[in-house]
Amino acid sequence: MILLDDVHLKLASAAGDVNILRGLRLEVAAGESVGVVGPSGAGKSSMMMIIGGLEQASAGTVRVAGAELSRLTEDELALWRRDAVGIVFQSFRLVATMTALENVALPLELAGRRDAFARAERQLHAVGLGHRLQHYPEQLSGGEQQRTALARAFVAEPKLLLADEPTGNLDGATGQAVIDLMFELRARAGTTLLLITHDRALAGRCDRVVHLADGLIVGDERRLIRSAAAS
Amino acid sequence: MTALPGQFARVNALPGQLALAARLARRELRGGLRGFRIFLACLTLGVFAIAAVGSISAAVIAGLERDARIILGGDVTVRLLHRPATPEQLDWLTRHAAAMSQSVEMRAMARAVDGARRTLVELKAVDDLYPLYGTLDLEPAVPRAALFARRGGVPGAAVERSLAIRLDLKLGDRILIGDGTFELRAVIAHEPDRGVGGIDFGPRVMIGLDGLADTALVQPGSLVEYHYRLRLPPGVAARGVTTALRRDLPDVGWRIRDFRQATPGVDRFVNRITLFLTLVGLTALLVGGVGVGNAVRSYLDSKTATIATLKCVGAPGALVFRIYLMLVLALGGFGVAIGLTLGALAPLVAGRALGALLPVPIALGFYPVPLVSAGLFGGLTALAFSLWPLARAREIPAASLFRDVVAPARRRPRPVYLAAIAVAILLLAGLAVWSAPDRTLAAWFVVGAAASFAAFRLLALGLVRLARAAGRPHNPRLRLALGNLQRPGAPTASVVLSLGLGLSVLVIVALIEGNLSREVEERLPARAPSFFFIDIQPDQLAAFETLVKQQPGVTGVQEVPMLRGRITRLNGVPVERAAVQPDSRWALDSDRGLTYAGMPPAGTRIVAGSWWPADYTGPPLVSFDAGLAAGMGLKVGDSLTINLLGREVDARIANLREIDWSSLGLNFAMIFAPGLLEAAPHTHLAIAYASEAAEEPLLRAVTDRFTNVSAIRVKDALDAINAILQAIAVAARITASVTLAAGTLVLAGAMVAEHQRRVYDAVVLKVLGATRRDLVGAFLLEYGLLGLATAAIASVIGSVAAWLVVTRIMHAEWVFLPLTVAAVAALCGTITIGFGLVGTWRALGQKAAPLLRNA
Repeated sequence: MILLDDVHLKLASAAGDVNILRGLRLEVAAGESVGVVGPSGAGKSSMMMIIGGLEQASAGTVRVAGAELSRLTEDELALWRRDAVGIVFQSFRLVATMTALENVALPLELAGRRDAFARAERQLHAVGLGHRLQHYPEQLSGGEQQRTALARAFVAEPKLLLADEPTGNLDGATGQAVIDLMFELRARAGTTLLLITHDRALAGRCDRVVHLADGLIVGDERRLIRSAAAS
Repeated sequence: MTALPGQFARVNALPGQLALAARLARRELRGGLRGFRIFLACLTLGVFAIAAVGSISAAVIAGLERDARIILGGDVTVRLLHRPATPEQLDWLTRHAAAMSQSVEMRAMARAVDGARRTLVELKAVDDLYPLYGTLDLEPAVPRAALFARRGGVPGAAVERSLAIRLDLKLGDRILIGDGTFELRAVIAHEPDRGVGGIDFGPRVMIGLDGLADTALVQPGSLVEYHYRLRLPPGVAARGVTTALRRDLPDVGWRIRDFRQATPGVDRFVNRITLFLTLVGLTALLVGGVGVGNAVRSYLDSKTATIATLKCVGAPGALVFRIYLMLVLALGGFGVAIGLTLGALAPLVAGRALGALLPVPIALGFYPVPLVSAGLFGGLTALAFSLWPLARAREIPAASLFRDVVAPARRRPRPVYLAAIAVAILLLAGLAVWSAPDRTLAAWFVVGAAASFAAFRLLALGLVRLARAAGRPHNPRLRLALGNLQRPGAPTASVVLSLGLGLSVLVIVALIEGNLSREVEERLPARAPSFFFIDIQPDQLAAFETLVKQQPGVTGVQEVPMLRGRITRLNGVPVERAAVQPDSRWALDSDRGLTYAGMPPAGTRIVAGSWWPADYTGPPLVSFDAGLAAGMGLKVGDSLTINLLGREVDARIANLREIDWSSLGLNFAMIFAPGLLEAAPHTHLAIAYASEAAEEPLLRAVTDRFTNVSAIRVKDALDAINAILQAIAVAARITASVTLAAGTLVLAGAMVAEHQRRVYDAVVLKVLGATRRDLVGAFLLEYGLLGLATAAIASVIGSVAAWLVVTRIMHAEWVFLPLTVAAVAALCGTITIGFGLVGTWRALGQKAAPLLRNA
């Protein structure tokens, strides 16, 4: 599902070039869930942005969900994301001027699906927000907003779900409920999951835990377990 | 598997994409108009200004057209100067008309019987059929038969109320005109065909044709106009009659008009004023355009996260562009619609104000053409100024949700959008030129506007650099103020550009108006003669000169022979078909005064050719005004055909003179060589210079002795001109104020956009120990510097532009008026510091804790 081979990311800044990622290699199989942990500035979000086609790698190969991303234009990447990727953000990123239903229907509308609203409604029912269809984000609690975001991420049945600190803006109990829901939806659809988090326990719920530091993968826990078993 | 570009399905077909964009744009509108208030205000104001000017102008022209027959006095009129129509000509006219009315018009002196009061009047002798169209309203409503009939041998007269007041006349009193005595029978409340557009030198006196002979004013060469007004039989086209008249009786030298050209002078004047005011309105719209651009940029900046989110969930850049373009177009359409609605209603308000200035009421109605034009101006301005920020928004990357600090996103619009901006600007410029009656002037306006934008932009950038170069002064308030002027994202450049442009227009209008007023109120009176005396018969000339020179206080008198003639051909081409610049057309519209001289008059400046010998006796030669020659494409050696008293005369241009018309001396566009005009019946025109105290005795002495001579007091004429100038100045000032209001709106918009940052600055500085006094001082210093710099730049650019207009276009003497400029600069200071105070006050009122908790 995901293949990163010798991926570099170098960004220009006023203070000079900054090397964010330095030769990253990662393979993720379809249906796998991977937790990505590491200190701030390790490159977790940058790696996720490259996998989500939000950022172009400076060098290396990036293949995700059947597409070689470096060959796609900005617009083709948007269309690819629409069809193949769902993203969940720490700060929800719902469109304030759209109702919960419209927010969830958005990716389907962009794909020109006539059944966009029917499917979105079903998806909102699935995340327990059937009674909040016509509510605007500011009328929803933080947990409800993140559940709406989850519904939006899953509504187009993406092959890959990218989640960036999805519980970062939620209290413990609410965060737990959202995570439970996310794993449940993922399991039901067989979606590949890449979960960025500071929370090692949360990452531990994934099939694999990848450790990043200073732009490099410094640990891959399932691989370690497998290596140990092999030896 | 490797996906290839283009593999991912888009929403098919453009209609589907547009429908999706429209749906998403409609959802965005739910956020309210909060960020678009300034946008709407700027657009509404500019469109309103243009729509109002266009609608009022259309209503005025429509009013003139609606009542054209009344204003003209007939379906067709012909006018002859100096002599009446011959029996043959009269026969032609009566044969082709259902009815024909004759009148004789001239200027004359009217005196009260006791001789104590006298004044120049516009005398009109009419027949029983007058008026063919409209009604002559009299107070009291005297029957026509009784109005002019002789009672006890004295014919009747009707006068305008102003004359009755000036000569202290009441009904039944007698009034002296020339050698005649008339009884005042009625006051004219409304004269349907009273002259329009020109300057009236005196009030109207109306008498019967029968009574005209009593005055003995009609003498050989007198400046007398003979009017013949025709009402045509039903179904007969006016154009056909005028064509037949020109064909059957060519070379008569009369002025022929049909009702479609009832008021060419007024039409031209209205068109000229409309063009000027439209261009000022367009400037307001362009200034407002800066506010439009700022508002759109500010709004889209606040939408960065939404746009990035849309891209994250699969929206391509083109869709993002379409969503916000539709939003801007919808709101722009709303702003334009408000402006157009208000503009369409403007004639209702203006109708009252213009009532006294126009011969007929304006035609209230809906005038789509100026509204469509104003709407297009508004739409194109909104597009031209919004496309840049919209195209930048298209480039907002999805990654902005995560990062915009380490690597600011590439935000330069793509070439296709830059091309679209260029097309919008070109269309705007093209529309401005194409829709203007004087396209050359409009083209210069476009060039000037572009140059002003560029100049203000450069100067604004220079100001920012200057603030940067000022380093770090010790005074913390000054340091903060300079820092705010030059920090990234500071509104300095757009405020200097927009407010500065508005102020420049005000400076230009104020300086032009000041120079013209000074010309008319001070300079012209200082060197102008006291009186023009007209219709002096050749046998009166010696006695006239002696009498005038004998008067105490008279410092000079000059006289020249004069008659009037009409230019009918330029190098053999009839003037109707000749290519003539608009600013020279006036000289061909009616008869011009002309004279003859053996020697060049004192002060003559010949710029081409040479003067003829004093004893010249060859074929007719003429000395012509160089300015008119340029406008008519004539040069030395070319020929002018003049109709003199019904006779066509060809004259070769011997030389061209540069004439200073502002001297108000004895200036003639055409001076003929000796040999042609001496034998023609003509009168003399004289000017007399006298001290102010000597004017009234001089007037009495001349008009008592020569009852046929009329005196035009220059001061009165200048007052009449000044009154017209003042009316124009009011209109110009109002429109210029709209431009300044647009600039102020941009400033207000910048303040609104800046408010959060200012609040944040204030809170942080307060936390760090700054007192309210420090903050007020720093913010006021910032706005004071901004206002001062803007005023300085606007003063320089406005003064240079005004100087160019006054010296190059108006050919008048230029005087810099520092007080006028200082007043405008003070206005700028007041506006900027005022807005700064309001913004600062609101910022200082914010509590620190809530902001710091949320920061």
